[in-house]
This record gives sequence, structure tokens and C-alpha cells, in this order.
Amino acid sequence: MTNNRIARLAVNEEGFVFDPQTGESFTVNETGKTILKALIESKAQEGIAMKLTEQFNVSHQEAQTDVRDFLQHLRAYQLL
Amino acid sequence: MDDIFVAVTGINASDNPAPGIGVARSLKGQNVKIAGLAYDAMEPGIYMDWLIDKSFLIPYPSAGSEALMERLLYIKQHFGMDVVVPTLDSELPFFIKYRSELEHHGIKTCLPSEEQFRLRSKDRLAAIAEQSGLQAPKQAIVTSYNELAKAVQEIGLPVMVKGTLYKAYRAYTLEEAMAYFGKIVAQWGYPVIIQQAVTGEEMNVIGVGDGAGNLPGRVAVKKMSVTELGKIWTGVTIQHPGLLEATQRFVATSRWRGAFEMECIVDQDTVYLIEINPRFPAWVYFATGVGINLPVMLLKLALGETVETAGEYQAGKLYIRYTDEQVCDMAHFQNIVTRGES
Repeated sequence: MTNNRIARLAVNEEGFVFDPQTGESFTVNETGKTILKALIESKAQEGIAMKLTEQFNVSHQEAQTDVRDFLQHLRAYQLL
Repeated sequence: MDDIFVAVTGINASDNPAPGIGVARSLKGQNVKIAGLAYDAMEPGIYMDWLIDKSFLIPYPSAGSEALMERLLYIKQHFGMDVVVPTLDSELPFFIKYRSELEHHGIKTCLPSEEQFRLRSKDRLAAIAEQSGLQAPKQAIVTSYNELAKAVQEIGLPVMVKGTLYKAYRAYTLEEAMAYFGKIVAQWGYPVIIQQAVTGEEMNVIGVGDGAGNLPGRVAVKKMSVTELGKIWTGVTIQHPGLLEATQRFVATSRWRGAFEMECIVDQDTVYLIEINPRFPAWVYFATGVGINLPVMLLKLALGETVETAGEYQAGKLYIRYTDEQVCDMAHFQNIVTRGES
């Protein structure tokens, strides 16, 4: 699931993300940060959804939708 | 150890800054005395005495090589000049051509050869891009409106309309391209380069080649914001593997000697080579600030000293320009106007 570009991203505790290859930077919320960090650790989509369910007290279905949406955003920015 | 006397040109730190001040700032604290060589009494570097030890007016290249050589030898005699670092495109042909004569007079340089200088000219960009493993935008060299129209038709709009040394404009219509063509010809003469306008992020690499194919130091940056004149205002260091490998290949294959700046447009993994400048850019101090002091490397190479390959720099370091003011005595201005030195 993860590609080199995702693995290279630097994500800090406040959700500031820096891509050292392109110089692009952006910010993500707590959910986005959790997903990004999980992707950097090469976690699978289902595993990330479970992590969100535990961490943010949301239904598993809602978490799956959030992960799917976020991945689409990453693809749109050509990070995936 | 005795001070080394270094003359630096391009001390015009204005809204279109030249590289000289960045070079002087990088050399400061290195046991050097710096002579700033200016073309005009209002160049701010003349008044920056914390960086420039003494300033001299020099004649424009158009005044002829004899006048410039005479002036350089005067400065050598009256202040000292072990090394000269020309930083402006228009000066380089003189300094490259008369390198041996300067050396004969005890003035050292670290410059590309005439062949290397020609190699990076805009009309030979495609060849150098191919050698370095990069893409080159389509381009044509034109000297008339007819050739311009033909080139625009072949390349497709929008196009970049460029002078061989200075100026570059983006044109979205043939009429716009014709207007820019006329503007460049009026100011800089023929020929004019018509280049495909590629899309992507503007990324640049600066470095120093040792003339034997080695690259002791380089830094890649992305421009985050530029002024209306297209000059960097904020930037960030990056580590783009494709870009850095291509830089290494460029230096290895050309055996480049001296400073250079590679201007590229990067679209994901495709890197287009837009231009190679045979000198430092005005933001050269950015490299020094992240631990890669390229002007010091250049100075050592000019002096024939060994230069160690620098360590790696960190991606994500920010560069921010700012404006400043200075108040000084009229005497500085009087001296430079009446005596040609201050």
C-alpha cells in the first residue's frame, strides 16, 4: 500500500507534513496524521480503519470511509 | 597566515540581486579581505562595509577588455587580488578568455573552460540534458518574426521567449510571443530562444565542480515564492534523488570547473533541464547556511588547494529574504564617485 514517497514524508506531532523530495508541505488533522503515520509504517487499509475505530471512538464503517477518502486525497496529490 | 585578497563582482543587492553579496558573506571569516567590484556608485554592496573591505568601480564589459584588465591590475596593485570571483553572466566571457593572463599577473580564478561555457549555452541544452539523463523542453533558435511564427507553430503554445543571456517571458499567444521577441531583441540583440513551456515545480541545484569530474558540494532547493522579477524570496532545501543524480552526471561528464546553477522543472519523476548558469545564483548563501559553503570551495579550488566532498545537508531548511535599510555618511558616495573607490 505504501510507496516510497509516503515513506519519505516527515510528519510532526502537530500534523505538519513535509515532502523532502518536492519541498511541498501541508497540514492534516488528528485523523489524517494517524492514517499517514500508519501508511508510513506500511499498515494495510483494514488495519488503519481498526486503529481509527479504537483511537477515535467511531464505528468501523465510518473509519473505513475516512481511510478511503483520505487515500483518495493522497492519490489526487500524487502521493500514492 | 596572511590574508587572501579576493575580488568579487555583482555586489548589487537590489530587488534584482546579483550573487556577489552572498559570495562575500560566505567568504567572511575565512581569513580573506574582500574587494567589491561595482559598475555603479549606487550598488548597495559598496556601502556594506561589514562584508566588503573596499569597493572599486570597474568599467562595463562593453568598454573593452583592455580597460577592464587595466582596472583589475590597478586594484591588484593598490589593494590586492589573489583571486577574482566574477558572478555575472555578461562578465564571464572576459574572465574565461583572459584567465591565463590574469594568472600570469597573480590573479587566480576557478572558471569553466571556453568549451564548457559553450556547452551550457541555451542552444545546446538538449545535448547536455541527454548526457545528464534529463529531459529538455523542445526549443528553437530564431532570428526573425517568420522563424518565430514557425517555431511557435511547431512547439505549441504557451512558449517561453528567452534571450541568450538574460530575460525570459511566458507567451500564451503568437502576438504576445512577437511582442516579447521585439523587446528582447531591442535590449539584448539576436538570437532569441523559443522554448516549450513545461509544467511542474521549479527546482534548482547549485554546486561547484572541481574540473576533474568531481562534485564536492551541491544543494537542491525549491523556490516557494518569487518576486515580480522572478527572484527567489522564500525557498526550501529538498533532496530529490533524480535531480541530484543528474547533477552528479552533468559534472562527471562535462568535468565542469567552477560554480554552476541548474534550473529545472520537475513534474513528479520527470526532470526538465531549463538552463545551466555558469555561476552562483544570488541566493548562494542559502547553501552556506545549511552547511555547504560553495564559495569557500570555489576559493580553495582557485588557490589549487584540495577540497573535501561536503557532507549531506538537511532537507526542509527554509530560506527567507528580507529588506533592510542603511544610513551612512555621504563621504562613501563622494569617494566612489570622485575616486572610483571607497
